[in-house]
Amino acid sequence: MEPTKFDAVVAGAGPAGCAAAYALAKAGLEVLVIERGKFPGAKNMFGGMLCGSVLAQLIPNFWEEAPLERYITRHVITFLSREDSFSIDFQSPSFGKPPYNGYSVLRAKFDKWLAGKVEEAGAIIVPGLLVEDLLWDGNQVVGVKAGGEDFPASVVIAADGVNSLLAQKAGLAEELSTEYVSLGVKELIQLPSEIIQERFNLEDDEGVTQLFDGFCTRGMHGGGFLYTNKESLSLGIVIQLSALRRMGVKPADLLEEFKSHPGVRNLIKGGTVEEYSAHLVPNAGINKVPMLYKDGFLVVGDAAGLVLTTGITLDGASFAFASGMAAAETVKLAKQNGDPSRKTLCNYEKLLKESFVLRDLETFKHSQFFLDNPRLYTTYPELICNLSRGLFTNDGKPRKRLWQLARTEMGRQKLSILHVAVDGFLGRRAI
Amino acid sequence: MINIIVCVKQILDPEMPPGKFKIDPESNKVIPPEGIPLVVSPFDEQAVEAALRIKEQCGAKITVVTVGESSAVNAVKHSLAMGADEGIVVEHIIEGYDSLLTAYILTKAIEEIVAYDLIICGREAADWGSGQVGSIIAESLGIPVVARTRKIEVMDSRLKVEHIIEDGDESLELPMPAVITVSYEIGQARIPTGWGVISAARKKIPSWSLEDIGVDLSQIGDTSSRIKLLKLFTPTRERGCQIIEGKTAAEAAANLALRLREAKVI
Repeated sequence: MEPTKFDAVVAGAGPAGCAAAYALAKAGLEVLVIERGKFPGAKNMFGGMLCGSVLAQLIPNFWEEAPLERYITRHVITFLSREDSFSIDFQSPSFGKPPYNGYSVLRAKFDKWLAGKVEEAGAIIVPGLLVEDLLWDGNQVVGVKAGGEDFPASVVIAADGVNSLLAQKAGLAEELSTEYVSLGVKELIQLPSEIIQERFNLEDDEGVTQLFDGFCTRGMHGGGFLYTNKESLSLGIVIQLSALRRMGVKPADLLEEFKSHPGVRNLIKGGTVEEYSAHLVPNAGINKVPMLYKDGFLVVGDAAGLVLTTGITLDGASFAFASGMAAAETVKLAKQNGDPSRKTLCNYEKLLKESFVLRDLETFKHSQFFLDNPRLYTTYPELICNLSRGLFTNDGKPRKRLWQLARTEMGRQKLSILHVAVDGFLGRRAI
Repeated sequence: MINIIVCVKQILDPEMPPGKFKIDPESNKVIPPEGIPLVVSPFDEQAVEAALRIKEQCGAKITVVTVGESSAVNAVKHSLAMGADEGIVVEHIIEGYDSLLTAYILTKAIEEIVAYDLIICGREAADWGSGQVGSIIAESLGIPVVARTRKIEVMDSRLKVEHIIEDGDESLELPMPAVITVSYEIGQARIPTGWGVISAARKKIPSWSLEDIGVDLSQIGDTSSRIKLLKLFTPTRERGCQIIEGKTAAEAAANLALRLREAKVI
């Protein structure tokens, strides 16, 4: 007789859901993954970089088989004013040795591979089906309802992404407010690999990440990004949704503007746009992480808002893997104890508190407040660019010392020492 | 209860974004798009649907057969998820475009299955659209075939079918075993239920090699010499816009008429 009840039903075949399902199936539990996309990966999107260390705990030496694009050996941060750009450029060959520090990844390929691993491990994936509701027995979640069918389970793992319907149905979270979410838009721009390597000073499979701060967001909270893939670039911007609404700007227009900036347009020159995608990113940090469990129910990944935004780091995938793995550990424990109630499932939160997941979010809990400061997207990038222009200008006039240039430029930007001191203080606490 | 065999083929998803469809002009081949899974050819899905309707009407055991690479197991699983009972993958990558080869391998597989009253195929595969496999299987097995069937009814050991001809329908009666090919006229193929997918995933699907079914490729000769693909290309569509001017509306209309006459449109 085939089992009609699963040890766990996972809603969503993204990184969090797949990590949970993989770990559970490996341990021999009956796992069902329900994915609303036509196939796993069809609806998934991120900027383009994956940190490998967490995934390696789940699938050791995954880099030998996973479809990765380039390993990242060079990190660039660029400040943009209207026309100028100022970059900080870090390149280290030590990032180019296994286990690599990070990879650029195309989700369509990577997620398909990951889902394949999940199926290989023994879990069943049902694509093209939306989990609409939870099944209840009193206060205990006992399965899900999808496409008019019931799927009973000891534990339901909600990995249904940002603005999680299931976390809301479980009464753990409210509908997402535009204050706590950003919109990422991205184009995949095709370029031959030789051109990418030459243009970005890379050897063979090496890659670069470049983050942009300043003019590209028109002063709104957010930034631009560029990742090199094997034969394409992922180029996009992430902007606070509420700001976008307030300004009434179309993200596609912003992206076009970003692409035509002198500091960007030569990087993508000659490329053809192959894909355009958009996705929401939770950005509220620890302040909006909901209650993570209830009887028979766990929330993981983006669904739980487990995304780190520090201004320099925007990482959801590592947090998704780690929370998925912690959820799997907890469900294994529940199976052992024969108790899927909150008494066992509270272990999930404990695991996250011990790991980097909730600790990182706690460390950077002031980031959001700091990053809401419009000076970060207007005044400072402009100051840095103008200062550099002053420093490098040869116009036959008497030269000024850097400090003098800075004072003049601060005056022009109406930036007082007090502002800098306050922002510096907040920044020290936030980044 | 009758035994039905349905032949299915796994193809590139016809619904994938057109931008992902690429051709390598050097080798005259389609470059498989990365990250987009292959699907069951829609006409073959309708063949499975036709079989399922007979099963619902009078009971049947449905066996699905495919020839292809190892991932073709997903085509069988999809059919099982829809409601078919058994599935078999004949693992062999068919190079070239000769339908005789495909039909020959399928015929051998069908002979290996032994018990069959009805074989249903899609009218043609939605990728190359040759539309020959069903008829060649019937010829090889020495049984009747009806193409583009709209309706199938099982009456004891006979079949009553309606099939489409150029200027209408034709009703036919034929003995079993027989081959029938279907296309969209049969109606929408059902979408697998969640539990359908689950029980399909739990089924073991046997994989046969060419030796298992006694295929001797020398029997059908050199397929590559019979059919040669000369050129594979995506048609380019050009659009132009010309604005016909004139001082007055009447003059513009006259100019437009002249221009249309020049272009031999009127």
